[in-house]
Order: sequence, then C-alpha cells, then structure tokens
Amino acid sequence: MTDVSRAPRSSLFLAVLALSPVGFVHAQDIPDNIDGFDFDSINFGDDLFAQPQSNTPAWLEPFTFKLSQQLFAQVNEHSISRVDGSSDRKNAAIENSRFSLLARYQNPFAAGWLLQASAQAKVYWPGDYEYRANDDRIDTEFRLNELFVQRSTGENSVKLGAQTVVWGENIGNSVLDVINTSEFRDLTIIDIEDARLNQWLLVWDRYIGNHQISSFVNLYPEFNPPPVRGSPFFFESAFNLTDYRRDKALFEIGSQMRWSLAGSDISIMGAYLYENQLSYSAPASGVGDAQSTANDYLLLGASANRAIGKLLLNFDIAYSHDILVNVLVTPTNPADAPYLATETMNKLGATLGFEYAIDNDQSIMFGVAAEGKLAPDAQLASNAALLEDEVTGNALLRYSNNMRNGDLQLAVTLQSALDAGSVLGSVSLNYTLSNNLAVMGQVIATSAKKDSALAALDEDLRMGMTLSWTF
Amino acid sequence: MKQFYQCLRSGALLCALLTVTNSALAQMSAREILEKVEDAQRTTTDSAFNRIQLSSCQFGVRDNQITCAERPRVKALESVGINFGPENKDTRSVSVVTEPPAEKGIGMLSVTYDDSDQDNETWLYLSALGTVKRIASGNSDDDTEPASIFGSEFTTEDQDTGKLDEYALTILEETIESGREVWKIESIPNEERARKTRYARTVQYIDKERFVLLRADMYDQHDREVKRLIASRVELVNDVWVARSLTMMNLVSNRLSNMAILEINTGIEVPEDFLTQRTLTDVAFRETELQKLREQID
Repeated sequence: MTDVSRAPRSSLFLAVLALSPVGFVHAQDIPDNIDGFDFDSINFGDDLFAQPQSNTPAWLEPFTFKLSQQLFAQVNEHSISRVDGSSDRKNAAIENSRFSLLARYQNPFAAGWLLQASAQAKVYWPGDYEYRANDDRIDTEFRLNELFVQRSTGENSVKLGAQTVVWGENIGNSVLDVINTSEFRDLTIIDIEDARLNQWLLVWDRYIGNHQISSFVNLYPEFNPPPVRGSPFFFESAFNLTDYRRDKALFEIGSQMRWSLAGSDISIMGAYLYENQLSYSAPASGVGDAQSTANDYLLLGASANRAIGKLLLNFDIAYSHDILVNVLVTPTNPADAPYLATETMNKLGATLGFEYAIDNDQSIMFGVAAEGKLAPDAQLASNAALLEDEVTGNALLRYSNNMRNGDLQLAVTLQSALDAGSVLGSVSLNYTLSNNLAVMGQVIATSAKKDSALAALDEDLRMGMTLSWTF
Repeated sequence: MKQFYQCLRSGALLCALLTVTNSALAQMSAREILEKVEDAQRTTTDSAFNRIQLSSCQFGVRDNQITCAERPRVKALESVGINFGPENKDTRSVSVVTEPPAEKGIGMLSVTYDDSDQDNETWLYLSALGTVKRIASGNSDDDTEPASIFGSEFTTEDQDTGKLDEYALTILEETIESGREVWKIESIPNEERARKTRYARTVQYIDKERFVLLRADMYDQHDREVKRLIASRVELVNDVWVARSLTMMNLVSNRLSNMAILEINTGIEVPEDFLTQRTLTDVAFRETELQKLREQID
C-alpha cells in the first residue's frame, strides 16, 4: 500500500496550480471598476476570435481521442466493524493511478452508411489496485466499447455490432435500463452511462411519422462481470466466480415504440431477456468454480415524461415475469440444517423522478426507484423465507451548477438505498482549462450499515483528480 | 452539459446573430424601424443551414483595445432551421456541436412557438447517455431568467423577437456609430414586460440604410449598463443585410462571447423529416441529409 499522505498529494496540488489559468490572465489590464470605463473610447478587434486553420489530415477527421491520467485515494484511516463483532483496519491508500486512452471513430463513409467504433486502453501504474492484483507489476487493459455499422434508408435504420440500447426516462436509476450489462468496478464510476457495457446486437429502427419502433436481437447475451480482485467492491467468495459456461444457445429480443405529444414523450416496450446478474450456487463437488445460472424472464414496461415550464417529470414502470430470488429453506426435519435455494417470482418496479432548472446555470434532479416482489407469500413454501427485503430500491439526488460560461462545473450527487443502509455522497468540480484540457477534482464519501452489502465501504472518504486532454 | 439543456430554445441561433434585441415598442416611427429589422431577421432564419462559432472569454483592455484575458473557449455548431406556424413565426431547428472535441456530436432539436401560451420543446442527444432526452425549457415569455445560449453570454432574451407592444420606444437621436448613420432607439419595457426582463432599458443603434443593429446597450434597474452588444462584419446575404459577428460583453462579470456566422445559407429546401428526433440519433441519416443540403448550397 502506498501512503497517500506523502508525495502524491503535494504533486496533485502542484499539478493543479501549474494548470490554473493564471498564466493566461493579465490582471493589470482589467479595469477594477468597469462602470467607470469609457468603452466608447476603445477599439474592438474583430479578429479577436479568429481561429487558426485546422491542419488535421482528412483521414484523422473521424477520430476523437481522449487521454486521461487519474489519481484517486481512500484518505480516511479508520476501522470497519463487522456483523460478527470483528473489525478491520482501513489505511489511507491510493486506489487508482491509471492512464487511459479513449479513441472514438465515427465515419459516414457513404450515403446512408455509418461505421462507428470506440475503444479504451488503460495502463495501471504502481499504487493502483489493478497493479497490486497483478503481483505489483504494471498492468494493461484493452476494451472495445462500440463497433457497429449502420445502414439508414427511407423510414428504416439497421445497426449491427457492439452498441447500447437504453430504455427509460430516468437517468441513473431507471428500472427499465436493464438491456446493457454494467460494471461499477470502483467508486470513480458512479454514473450509469460510464458503467454500461455494450452488447452485440442487431437493432432495427423504423420511423413512421411521429412514431419510432425500435427492436433488437441479441444472439450472445453477456452478463455483469464479477468484481475485479483488489477493487473496493471485491469480496472474497467461498468459490470462484467465473463467466457463464454456455452449454446452451442464448438469445434476447425486445421492442419499444416511442412517440411524442405536446410536452410529453411516451414509450411502451416488451422484451425477453436474461437477468444481467448471474445467480451463483456452490459447486456440486464443494470446491472449485461456483455454478452459474442464467435466468430468462419477460419484461413489460412503459415510460413517460411531462414538461411543465422548467420542471420535467419522469416516470418508468416495469413488470418482470419469473425473476430469480434467493430464499432460505428450513427443512421440516429439525435435524437438517437450513439451506439456500432460489425461487422464481414476478416483480413490479417503478422509478419516479423530476428535473428542475433552478436558473440559467443551476439544475436539480431527483429520482426514486423501487422494486417489489409480487405476492411472495403465495409463491413460497411455508418453510421458505426471502433472503432480501420484499421491496428494494434507491434514491438519487443530483445538483449541478455551471459557472464561467460552463468552464467551471460543480456537481453534487447523493445516492442512498431506500432503507438508508448505504449512502454515497460525491462532490466534483470540473474545470476546462482550454478547448482541449480539463481537470476534475472529486470527493466521495460513503457510509453503510454493518448488514449492508456495501458495509466494507463504511466511513470511506475518497479524493482524487483526473486530468484529461481531448483532441 | 446542463447549459445545453436550457439554451437554444429557439434553435434560431441566427436570430441572435442577426440583429436586434427583443425590446421594441410602441412609438410609431421607432416601431416601424424595428419591425423592418425583425422582418429581415425572419427572412434569414427560414430554411437556413448555418455554421456558427461561439467563443467566450474573460476580457480586459490593453492598448485601448478589448482583448481576451484568457484563451477563448470555442464551440462550433451546425444548425438547420425552418419557420412554420401562424405567420411563419414558429421555429423548428436542429443544432449539432462539431467543436470542441469533447462535445462533438451533441445534438439538440428545438421547437420554439411564438404563442406565449405554448411551451417551447427541446430534446437533447448526448452519446454518453445513449438516448434522446427531453429538456424542460419552458417558454421564453415565462417569468424566469432568460436561458443562456450554449453557455455563452447570449441569452434567449437577446435573440427574442416580436412583442413590440410591450415596450415604449423612443428615437433618442440620429447619430453616427461605427462610421454609419444610425437611429438611436431607446426601449423601455412596460410593467408586465419589466417583470420578465433583466433589462430596465435598452438603447439600440440601427443602421439607417441597412436596417441592421450595430450596437445595443442594456441597462439594469439602477440605470447601470450591464451588457453591450457590438455587431460587425455586416454583409449582404440573399438581399438582406446580416451582421456576421456579434459580441456580447457582460460588463458585470467582465466576460464576453462572440457569435460568428462562419457560413449562412438561406432559402434551402429542408425535408420535413430532417427536423425530428431521428436526426439526433441516426447519424447515417443525418449525414446523408446534411450532404443533400450542402449540395443545394454548392
């Protein structure tokens, strides 16, 4: 573990100082009291905003690159109490020290055709949890995010390849946003749009007047990857959690119809899907890889929004048929020990949220998502009990403020489980230093009850910064 | 990105580029002048395909010349719009960001209604979100703070047109501005309008020959000049005089924004289905249709 109290923090400060816009400002030239300044007597150079001619070669035009260096640390030295009465000491330490290159390619290479791709390469430096998980060696990772070809003609558009399909009006906690898999590998990723993983899909969109019918087929459904060893979300399980062993053909299919009315957008959808999170059980032999179960289910849903002046109301509702739930079975023979099992149930979920533009620069967003099992008692045997609450969900609150014509962006996020078993608070400040360079500082605090799934993050305080260059 | 959500309520960016601030009122001669300016403005926003550059910075004065005290932040946009509705006063437009690289591909569809009782509608597409998102944008006539245009010092109030009945208009004098003969017209909002505007008084300098705004000074309720608009590069486009460079100086925050029309093409035939949500998400469709528009220009 690297001690964050040493050089990195001072380096962070110096880096920010060096990149501040002070170097560009000629303060002595700016009159203190602009009221008293006679603007009629000065000239205005019309070439003030003349931009240099772009010398980007034509073949590079479809590309956008983003280079980022991130440094993040858990800075609060504390102890975590466990349900069994034991406790763990948590030291201040760097968690993320990584460099990434994101490349995006978008090329409408012929009339009605588009090729789009994006990929990310990462290097994990000393101090990063991926470095430690790699036996203290620099690690690298490459991931293809998007790769699809699109053909649009007349009222139809077809996209084939790795892409995302997003359903639902609420951003961040919609009960309908379940088609893509996701990976919240660590706490620097708290936005769903950053956590989504693409799937290999065939998507067909048909535009008929004011209506859009969008359908997809997925012939190789993926599942949420297990936590990466060393990451804040990693836990040591009794058995190896592996990828799904495909001993049968899987496919997903779904369709959505969307249309707009004055002040509203409405969607209805239906799909045959697999739960993104695999269900694991102990191996038959008692050792080795856990057995994974891919559970298929039916989803029916609807979403709508309504704009009223500066207020936007969002509503999503989802009915899921045959979802797997974990239960604890108590054998009728008292001599036998209780055991874990799974049952299928139906689930109804809804997200209700609003967005409000406080003024020109400030906005606030709030959403509550809740999912409940339908008639669980009728579905369960008398000697079985649910392992989780009948109703689960979360609340999400976001505030944002854009200052200095958007150069300085403040974002405050508060996310909590419905029972307040775990709470996450984040404050981030993004400063655009130039048309290409930006720096973001972020503070994330987490709190969790002992019996929460996020108990290991209780009283954690993370601070960090990301420097990025986009061109 | 939030500033994108609220701005560009009338995708008629060109409105702001072209001329007069909204204030205009009742005295006959002054009203006639401003009506003529607005008519010209509407002509140039209809069936239009434009490329626009928005630059913002903190400003200072050096050697008697206004200068940016920092490197300007530059946004480049492509915008397509048509007018429709009663008397052709409603606007439907699509704008797509082409620069800076970090914001490339962000698209916005806006429908602006002249009728105060009808809320404007705005949809935004961010590739990161992966979906089209409706934005609560209200109506430019709401009793609210005017929205910034793409985070710049220009606001929807600065680009608003019409509502001349809500102002008292006075020609203060005929004078010279930027070497041109101008009418100096003062606009003072009536009681109802005063509740909706941040300007207690506006003084506009209208070119007498070309009917284009060359300068506007905006004052707050303490009669302090809070903003100044300077227009330049006035050129004849399709028989209408257009200021291709507008600079709005915020004299309170010492920040300014320049809006430059890099390309202005009017009178083109815009397919009805182009100004829909499909254009935001279907890049293959959008680029094909844009290419057809470019061919009309060529």
